[in-house]
Amino acid sequence: MSKTSERVVSGRPDIHVVKPIPVRSYGQWAGAAVLLVFAALFLKNLTTNQNMQWPVVRQYLFHPDILSGLGMTILLTLLAMVIGLSIGIVLAIMRLSSSPVFQGASWVWIWFFRGVPPLVQLILWYNLALLIPEISIGIPFGPKFATWDTNDLITPFSAAILGLAFTESAYAAEMLRAGIQAVSSGQVEACASLGMTRSQTLRRVILPQALRIVIPPIGNDTISMLKFTSLVSVLALPDVLYSAQMVYARTHQTIPLLVVATIWYLVLTTVLTFGEHFVEHRLHSGTPLSLREMLRRLVVTVPFRRQKEIAS
Amino acid sequence: MTEPLLKVERLRKSFGSNEVLAGIDLEVHERDVMCIVGPSGSGKSTLLRCLNHLEKPTSGIIFLRGEPIGLRWKGNRLHEMTFDELSRQRRRMGMVFQGFHLFPHKTALENVTEAPIIVKGLRPDVARAEAMEMLEKVGLADRADYFPRQLSGGQQQRVAIARSLAMKPELMLFDEPTSSLDPELVGEVLATMRQLADEGMTMVVVTHEMLFARDVADHLIFMDGGVIVEQGDPKQVLTRPRHERTQSFLARVLPEAV
Repeated sequence: MSKTSERVVSGRPDIHVVKPIPVRSYGQWAGAAVLLVFAALFLKNLTTNQNMQWPVVRQYLFHPDILSGLGMTILLTLLAMVIGLSIGIVLAIMRLSSSPVFQGASWVWIWFFRGVPPLVQLILWYNLALLIPEISIGIPFGPKFATWDTNDLITPFSAAILGLAFTESAYAAEMLRAGIQAVSSGQVEACASLGMTRSQTLRRVILPQALRIVIPPIGNDTISMLKFTSLVSVLALPDVLYSAQMVYARTHQTIPLLVVATIWYLVLTTVLTFGEHFVEHRLHSGTPLSLREMLRRLVVTVPFRRQKEIAS
Repeated sequence: MTEPLLKVERLRKSFGSNEVLAGIDLEVHERDVMCIVGPSGSGKSTLLRCLNHLEKPTSGIIFLRGEPIGLRWKGNRLHEMTFDELSRQRRRMGMVFQGFHLFPHKTALENVTEAPIIVKGLRPDVARAEAMEMLEKVGLADRADYFPRQLSGGQQQRVAIARSLAMKPELMLFDEPTSSLDPELVGEVLATMRQLADEGMTMVVVTHEMLFARDVADHLIFMDGGVIVEQGDPKQVLTRPRHERTQSFLARVLPEAV
């Protein structure tokens, strides 16, 4: 009787003794080599191209004008997201209401603000005074109690907030609606059987679960919003981009100042991405991720890891 | 004879043109355990869900201690209750579901304290102490800080029972509480229910567990086609069914003699 059930071929070692040679992915190696060449070219250009004017970049990176622009960008993002999400929650609940009037109103709002580009909206809101010269509070079609000149109300800042927040509200509403619908109807029944009111059910059970579901898309939206805020430069509102533009209009150092703006946008989006992973993980398991684990998750995507697990 | 705790009169329920309940009358007395059995589609779950108006009856009235559920007199006019008025009546009837429906984002303890705190306005520390008692009663005090997904099906269902009990309901409704459990987990849930029955809790139980019905129920109802076909003492109904439909149902679910 032989040591193994395998057919014996002279010269071959025992199959139980030798270690198999792992699969070689030549295609991956070749692709990686090409990418590394490109990376080297890019780095060389970045460091040696005189037009980048790194000393100018360094000079302006923490310039007070740029930093105050950065503050404006962050403030716009924050306000637009908070207002947008708040309106979005109301819209989502209206969409799911049993009243056709609420449903319809919500649908029209979402249809309009998702359909009109934010840039067009910004300009439209800024020029609102041309359409409606004065805004007043009173009884519809009746007497007015207080009246304001639209031009006094609409500043570049308020126009920017309106345009950005309303656009966000439409997207947020659709996200939240999907999130709310993903919470099982059994949850609503359990709440009803415990004697909870409608608003208790919504606040304590439905929204907390729906928000967990929509955290990743809200994170994405926040990053998009951060980038959308650069549109406000058309209203001459000094965000990061417009502050940089003002400097290079004076000094003609176009590229280094655009690099300054680019760096700040990348810094902010990176921070937001980390923040989103942090919140998401906290909501899922109650414990925040370590920095190392977060970095690993950012770089190695889940399906790829799965593939590796299956292969090994 | 005392007033029944729960009384159902001429209850009908249709979904579209499909009549699921075709006239149900029944009474549940205090400290009684009523089991409802019958083939799937017989309307037994719908009947249970009508009792606390999770389904609104098409017609007919349910009385809880003489008060109509979901309806209210204003002078001589009968009004439908708003959702929030109805919730005041619903909290008097606990309900346990086939699919547990625990709140997945809360721990076992928080699942139990939630309604007492926000619905009854109990102080959190008082609610926690009471909730621990309830978890103790269902044998899960050591799982208080676990999330539902970390518990077995049987444990989840026992937490769900504790969650309902924490509202101090006047009666408990069970909608096939063991039907989605692995066979080896059914026993622990039935044991908890048996203990409740022994303590005098009034219970209405829709179930497929014939042995539980035989041993625990005071009253057994056999439903088919949206009507009560036969009812009475469980041993009587299970061992000497009078109706042919009851006999054929029992022959299918009870391979051996009970």
